[in-house]
Formats: sequence, structure tokens, C-alpha cells
Amino acid sequence: MNLDSKWVPMKWPCGPLEIARRNKSQSINADLKEMLEAWGQPSALELLKGTPINCLIVDWANGKPEDSAQQQALKPLLDAGRQLGISFVGKVALKEGPGAAVAAGRAAGLSAVMLADASGQSFDLPAILQLEREKVSGETASTIFSTKENAWPGLNLDTMNGDTAMAGPTASPWVNSNGWFSLLAGKLAPGKTLWLDFDPPDSSNLLHPANYGLAIADSRAYGSRWIISLDDGLRAGLTKGNSQAKGVWGKLCKAVAFFQSHSEWEAFEPQGILAVVSDFRGDNAYLGEEVLNLLNRKQVQFQIIERSKSLQARSQDLKAILWLDKEAPSAEQHSQLLDFVRQGGLVIAAAYWGPPEVKPTPKDPSLQYMMYNVGEGQMAVSEGEFQSPDQVAVDTHLLVSRRNDLVRLYNPESTNCHSSIDPGHKKRLVQVLNYSLKPADSVTLWVNAQIGSARLWRLETKDALTLRGVAAAPGSDFGLPPLSIYCALEFEGSNL
Amino acid sequence: MMKTACSRRKFIAAMGATAGAWLARPAMPLARAVPASRVAVGTCHEYGPEVVGVLGNMFDQLGGLEGLVRGKTVAIKLNMTGLANTRLGYLPPGITYWVHPQVVGATVHLLAKAGARRIRLLESPWVTAEPLEEFMLHANWEPRDFLNAAARVEFENTNYLGNGKKYSRFWVPGGGLMFKGYDLNHSYEDCDVFVSLAKLKEHMTAGVTLSMKNCFGITPCTIYGDGAPEDEPGLVPLGGRGPFHAMNRLPPKSAPPAVNANVFLSNAPKNPGGYCVPRVVADLVAARPVHLAIIDGIHTMTGGEGPWTGSRYVQPGLLIAGTNCVATDAVGVALMGFNPMADRGTPPFETCDSTLRLAEQLGVGTRDLNQIEVVGTPIAKARFNFRSV
Repeated sequence: MNLDSKWVPMKWPCGPLEIARRNKSQSINADLKEMLEAWGQPSALELLKGTPINCLIVDWANGKPEDSAQQQALKPLLDAGRQLGISFVGKVALKEGPGAAVAAGRAAGLSAVMLADASGQSFDLPAILQLEREKVSGETASTIFSTKENAWPGLNLDTMNGDTAMAGPTASPWVNSNGWFSLLAGKLAPGKTLWLDFDPPDSSNLLHPANYGLAIADSRAYGSRWIISLDDGLRAGLTKGNSQAKGVWGKLCKAVAFFQSHSEWEAFEPQGILAVVSDFRGDNAYLGEEVLNLLNRKQVQFQIIERSKSLQARSQDLKAILWLDKEAPSAEQHSQLLDFVRQGGLVIAAAYWGPPEVKPTPKDPSLQYMMYNVGEGQMAVSEGEFQSPDQVAVDTHLLVSRRNDLVRLYNPESTNCHSSIDPGHKKRLVQVLNYSLKPADSVTLWVNAQIGSARLWRLETKDALTLRGVAAAPGSDFGLPPLSIYCALEFEGSNL
Repeated sequence: MMKTACSRRKFIAAMGATAGAWLARPAMPLARAVPASRVAVGTCHEYGPEVVGVLGNMFDQLGGLEGLVRGKTVAIKLNMTGLANTRLGYLPPGITYWVHPQVVGATVHLLAKAGARRIRLLESPWVTAEPLEEFMLHANWEPRDFLNAAARVEFENTNYLGNGKKYSRFWVPGGGLMFKGYDLNHSYEDCDVFVSLAKLKEHMTAGVTLSMKNCFGITPCTIYGDGAPEDEPGLVPLGGRGPFHAMNRLPPKSAPPAVNANVFLSNAPKNPGGYCVPRVVADLVAARPVHLAIIDGIHTMTGGEGPWTGSRYVQPGLLIAGTNCVATDAVGVALMGFNPMADRGTPPFETCDSTLRLAEQLGVGTRDLNQIEVVGTPIAKARFNFRSV
């Protein structure tokens, strides 16, 4: 059996291991224990009937005395799940070698195991590796891999004042999103599937459920999958058949089904006239990651180039390259960068590597950069080292110029967007996400192409609506209907 | 489809079509002596080719621009309040709460045709020192349209030091109402002619925002903003002009002093914005005189100065221009359905002092319609009552 990139994963905490864990953290009560036991019963799988969720993550071995009881207790669940076409991934968290636990999993019918460290071992079952973000690479990542350290998407709860979002120094509400990381992981581990592992905030409960639809959309829009994880209150409500819980669950499933029905979008490539180059490792990790995060927040559409890669294969649409790392380019990259500049491109860097005879000229006084005209293009060199990621993101947007924006949002509030294009460049997709719990009203999406209409897709409806564009030279404006969580505009044409 | 921004091609085409026709007319007598309080009112219903012609006729009615601008550097303070990505509903700012780019382009074009040597477009966009062209692009304006509308057009963000070596100091004749003087970006000094190109709007704090209140935005937030340091100007603007609204802090010590520092901080009056903002505006137009006031009321909004005030899109179809900002604003106020002689407690100055009265008090001009010659469309015929729509 192989890992299946089409799996739609969900955490399924239940059984003796989870009860023991809750006991240890003193977070258990009779109701919770009853719920955890109920979710271990085959009948609990009724919940998944008619939904796209087809892969459950269960605790399998933690090196605790309850391991054996857990594996025994889950057997009926696994048997029943297989009848329903559900795959099970057993999470193995052992300090010692996991071989025995994996073997037991294979015998019990697990489809895969989830491990923090395979350490070069081979198992009879495929392994989904749990990686730290900074260790994601093509070599370390399994066909499906997962990361922790992810954020619950939405307005940053630390910057909320009651229901009001407080603006940060950027004058925009602070938003948590994993979008930038999904894009980065997609580039660092190409062709592999990222499962984002994060749980609802502690504040989530049946009365005030977390924004599950956003957790799904923030992952899918950027090419990853969230391992669905419900809060205890919701799971307890579902166990008892609570109508409110069923409503939350129904919306969640509808959101998953929406993205399943648009799986062709997974092949779309991120659009961007700016390439961000870094190794995103070690000392370069913080700056590189935050710049990606903040560029995304500013709706600057970008591509990512891992620093060790040749720049030769860069997109022909690129207008600018941001070289973030202190390390100078290799001789080959140096030559490629200068070719890019000579042909009219812009390179932004913290050091000058161009022809020594070129004398710099100052840029606008608001920008602390010196400009070197080389051939048809320019190098913009920061007057000091890159330090503040926000400043780098702001400056980069201005140096590249908003003239080159691919998309803009008007009345954006807490919305953001991601633009991608199909490999044949015949369809373009702009996905718009609302990170606030309040619907976003009167949002206008501007795209840099003259397009008369778009197909508007929403989580709430099965069919697309036709949305008319308004000419807004050199592009088009699309007024979006009130946006609760997500919508996507699909454009077709030869001028995308 | 409705056009939401003027494309370069359409803008230039519009220039060619009507500017050409207007300019081909027999030359008007230029710079003839006219009363300082003459104000021209033109009707214009769309931001199309007709804007150039209507504005041109209005400038003729004022006596022509040539005597004012020939061979001169002209600075134009635009009205681009708030953020570039904020809209009233789905409507772009140019047709609701900013001066429309077509009016900007037409003005630039007409100033150049009248002989202006250099034209500088100025604004202090909220919370940013970014190049003004980038701010325009963010709103989907095309700065190249303005560059193409005259031979020498420049842009400057005046919210900080900008291209200057130091701030320019403007003292208020007579000592001022709030501050004895103001430190401003060099562009307000490095010009021979100063134009205020405003929008016809109400204002939440000042009652109305016309050509005078537009000048509130000439104050750099590096000095007069929320995040200005205590001693010297900041390098970049942080925050808006909150201190003028809240009277909760004084500018850095390097700036000209307050007339009466005791009215700030804990002694600030109730509703400090309604007290301070009109006085600062009156000070500014006294210290930095406006030579030409132009108000875009073709399309606009009621209820306030921007979408954040909860407002409605309207189409009064008006352009107003005059060489005295108090008189021009007085006509504007009258066209909005208010009494320009009104003061605190009476619409539109329910919660603030009248900037018109304060500026009149400083000797800047008259707000008395009996002393203002209105040319073009009569007020009675053009009035668009902002509170009745």
C-alpha cells in the first residue's frame, strides 16, 4: 500500500491512550471520557458517511502502558472503517524503535503510520513523517508529510480587543495564516503533499466554534491539507446528536467537499512577478519566512526559489528577484542574475555584485536603497543589511512597483487573496479568504487583466455564478458579494 | 460597463477632444482685474471629456490663469484622504471622496497651457512616506496620465521631509489661532502658486471639507502625527493627525509653538477636534495662502469625508473655482444647501467652529455671499442640498 495524496485526513482521538493523556493533563471529566469512549466505537464512523473524509489519524503507540490496550480497543473501529473505505494512519510517538508498533499496525490493518523520525529505517507500512518546519526538504519529506508549529488561521487573538481587531504597525489587522508556509513547503518539497497539523484554539466550543471552514480554506487555497481536528465540545455535541454541532459539522464537510470537487486547482501554479530567493534555513529562516508571510499579507504575489537551485529555470514572467540571504550567489547564479538585470529585470539585495564601474543613484528618499543601472535593468541595494521583515516587504513592493500588481483588494478589511494559473495558462484562479468572523462587505477584487466576467465559486453554493467585471484600466474590478469565509474567481482567456 | 478609472488613452483622448476645442477659441483677456471674491460655478455631470472645457471656461470667468501661473512653479495639493484601498461600497475614491483624476489631469493640462513652468502634485497620504505615484497606483490611478498632461510634472509625498533638506517654516500672520506657525514640506515653499484641489464634502469633525480643509493635509505627520517624537520631527510618519483631533499632545519642540499650550492635554475643550481642526485649517490658509481654489463636486458623497463616516454617493454635477479660498468655500457651502454665515451649533457646524468664520477673522477672505461675485451657474440653480438627498 502506498500513501494516497487524495486522502482527506482527520484526527480521531479516542481510546485508552487519549483517556490516559487527558488524565495526565487533568482535563478529563465524565462527559469527556464518555465521548472519548464513544468515538472509539465503530458506530461513531456513521458521522463520516457521505462526507469526503476518508482517512483517520489515530494514536497507535506512545510508549505508554496503554499502548496495547489502545491497539486492542481500536481493532473493531479499524475493521468497520475498512468496510466503509476509510483508511487509518496510526500515530507512533516512541522514543525507542517503532518497529514493533508498526508491525502491529500492519497486522491491525493500518494503511500507514505517522512518525516524527524514521531515521533511515524501512517499515512494512508507508510512513508519513512529521517534520519541523525548518527541516522540510525534498529529501526529508515523505510523499505525504506533516508539520506542527502551524497557526490557527484568523485574526490574531493576541491583538483582539473584544470583537475589535487591533491594527499592527502595518495599519492592517494582524492575521494568522499558514498560506505562506504552504507555498514554501510546496517549493522545498515539490510533488509532495503537506498535511498541516494544528488544533482549534482553546476558546473553541460548541457555542463559539472555531472557524473550521477557514482552517480548511487557508490550507487548500495554498496547496496543503489541514488534518481536521475538532474541539471537544463539538465532538461531544456530535456524539449526542446536538443540532448545533451537526450544523457546524455539516458546514465543515461542505467546505471539504467543495475543495474535493475542485481538485483540478491543485495543479495550478502560484503566480508572481517577484521571486524570493533564500535557503530559508538557520540564520536566514526568520527573515525569509517572515518576508514571505508579510508579502502575502500585502497581497504581493510571489514565487519562491530555494537558494541552491539554479535561477535558469525561473519563470519568464518574472520582473524582480529579491535575494534575501547574506550569502552571495554562486558564480553561476551571479551570471544568471546579471543576465536577468541586463535584460530589464530588477534585483533587490543587501549587497551589490554588479559591474564595479556602475555608480549608484539614490532612489526615492522614502526608500533606503541605492539604484544601479545595469543594462536595461536595475539592482536595488539596501543601504544596510536586511533587518526588519516588514520593512523589506514594504520596500520590495514599492521597488517592484504597484504598477506590476497582479491583484489588489479594495476594502480588504481582514481578507487576503492568492492568484494561481493552470499549467496551460488558459485559466487563472484568484482565491479570496476572509480571516475575520465578520462577513467582509463591499470587497472589490482588481485583477491586472481586462476580463469581462469570471466564474464565482463559494463554499455555500454548488454552482458558480457569473460575475461581471468593470473596466479599471489596466485591469478589471470585480465587486464581491458579502464574503463569510472564502470565494474563488476563475477566469478564462488568452490575456491572463 | 462603467468606467472606474480613466485609462491613459481615454484621458489623453479626452484632453485632445475638448481641451483642443476650448483652447482653439479666441484668446480671452488674461489677468484682468477681478474682484478677489469672484467665484466661478460650472455644471458638469460626468468625469468625461467635458471636464476640461467646463474648467477652462471657469478659469476664463475668473480672468484667466495666465497672469497667475505663466513661468511659475505651481504646487497643487490634492485631496486623497484616507487609505488608497478604501472605497465607498464598490465605488472608487475618485468619484466619492477624492478629487477625481480627470479633474486633476484637466487642471494640470490647463495650468500648463496657461504657461506654468513646473507643476507639482502634492499630498500627504495617511500613515506613509511612500512615493506619491505608488499611492496613486494603489488606488488604480495612472500617474503617467498626469505626466502626459503637461511638460514638467512632479510628485511629492509631503507627509515627511521628502526631497527637502529641511522643513519650511510658515508663520501665521497675526500670531495664529492654534499655533504661531507650522513646519511643512519644502514643496509648499518652493512654489510660486499654490492650488488647493479639493472635493465637495461634509466633514465629521469640521462640518465641511472644501478647499481650506483640504490644506489640513499639508501638515506632515512626522511633526503633527500621533507618533511624532517629542523633540525633533520623525523620519517617517507614524499614525494620522490625531493630536489635532484630540489635542492630546503638542508637536515636537522644534516646531513653532502653540498660541496657548494650556488648551492642550488635560485642559482640552470638550470635543477638541471641533475646536482645534477648524483653527488649524484657518491658520494654515493664512500662513500658506491659496492662490487658486478648485472644488470637485461632480460626483461625491454626503454625510462625511470618507466611507468610514457612513455615507451616500451623490452626483451634484458641480465644479467650483475661485482665487480666494474663503469665498470659494463659502459658495461651496451654499451650493451644499448650508448657510456660509452659519457658526457652531448650526448645520453644517453642529459640533465645531466654522473654518470660514475663523479664516475670515484672520483676514483671508470673506464668506459673505453678498460680497462674492458668483459667475457661471447661479447658486440657486445649481444648489444640491446635502442633507435632503
